[in-house]
Amino acid sequence: MNSSEHATWSDGVRAVSPILLGVIPFGLIFGVTAATADVPLLAAWASSFIVFAGASQIALVEVMDGGGAPAVAVLTAIIINARMLMYSADTGRYTASESLWTKLGVAYLLTDQAYLVSTHRFPDPSNAAGFVRFYLAGGLTLWTTWQISTSIGIVAGTAVPASWSLEFAIPLTFMALLVLAVKDRPGLFAAAFGGATAVAAVGLPYQLGLPLGTVAGIAAGMTSERWFK
Amino acid sequence: MTMWIVVIVAGIATYAIRFVLIGLFGRIEVPPVIERALRYIAPAVLAALTLPAVLSPGGVIDPWNAFVPAAIIGGIAAWATKSIGAAIIVGLPALWLVQAFFS
Repeated sequence: MNSSEHATWSDGVRAVSPILLGVIPFGLIFGVTAATADVPLLAAWASSFIVFAGASQIALVEVMDGGGAPAVAVLTAIIINARMLMYSADTGRYTASESLWTKLGVAYLLTDQAYLVSTHRFPDPSNAAGFVRFYLAGGLTLWTTWQISTSIGIVAGTAVPASWSLEFAIPLTFMALLVLAVKDRPGLFAAAFGGATAVAAVGLPYQLGLPLGTVAGIAAGMTSERWFK
Repeated sequence: MTMWIVVIVAGIATYAIRFVLIGLFGRIEVPPVIERALRYIAPAVLAALTLPAVLSPGGVIDPWNAFVPAAIIGGIAAWATKSIGAAIIVGLPALWLVQAFFS
């Protein structure tokens, strides 16, 4: 029992380590975006631990740099991060009997990567203790990596040659998580409809394609269940 | 100063999104229909993140851009190895190769 508990902490660190290959370039890209934008650099840097959500941090910098209204910047961040409401609902099944402090910490560390890796490793919410250790270990590793890589990006990121196309590591990470997340036919339907809707919505403002695609995908997955019984 | 306010308000809103259902879950009974819906979050949101990023890296849909074959190769690597690192280790060089030959 004890050995498996110890193993689970390091399991969490080990499980997210390959993802760091996608997180580090993403952090560098955010840092470079902030350093070359016309926004107060200290505030942009502080968003890494105040907001701690990469895509929305880039959006905040870009909207403010382009002279956008502060309300538009905040609303854009909320729309981009709305998907975490669904992660929160699912994660809550695992943390229902944890202390308030654990719940506050789990919520702070909630990201695409921490959520998806942990729920992939622990599909059954009844193994709450294992899940929480695994999740916190992975989440803290991701958090630390994000702070370091965004800081380096702000200071020195312009030195990374554009020809390396490191920004492609981000869609590659999501592609790999997608392949691992599709476990059955209704899941495949959810992915196909979610992806197609998001592609059809390319060009809509505020990255609306993301919430629209997510809702369409969930509806398609649930509808298709009856065909595959 | 405005940027600080924007970052702090966005931070509070994002934290609220992250916490609200984690905080409530122990106290409310979750309807079975919601439980079913939760199973499809991961494939739906990941496809909605991945497909536009791969098909329209410049903001306009272009099925012939170099990301498409490289992402397919990376996806096959992830599927074959069940590993995320493999997708990056195989997919990134695949992108460099495609870019070297077709640009």
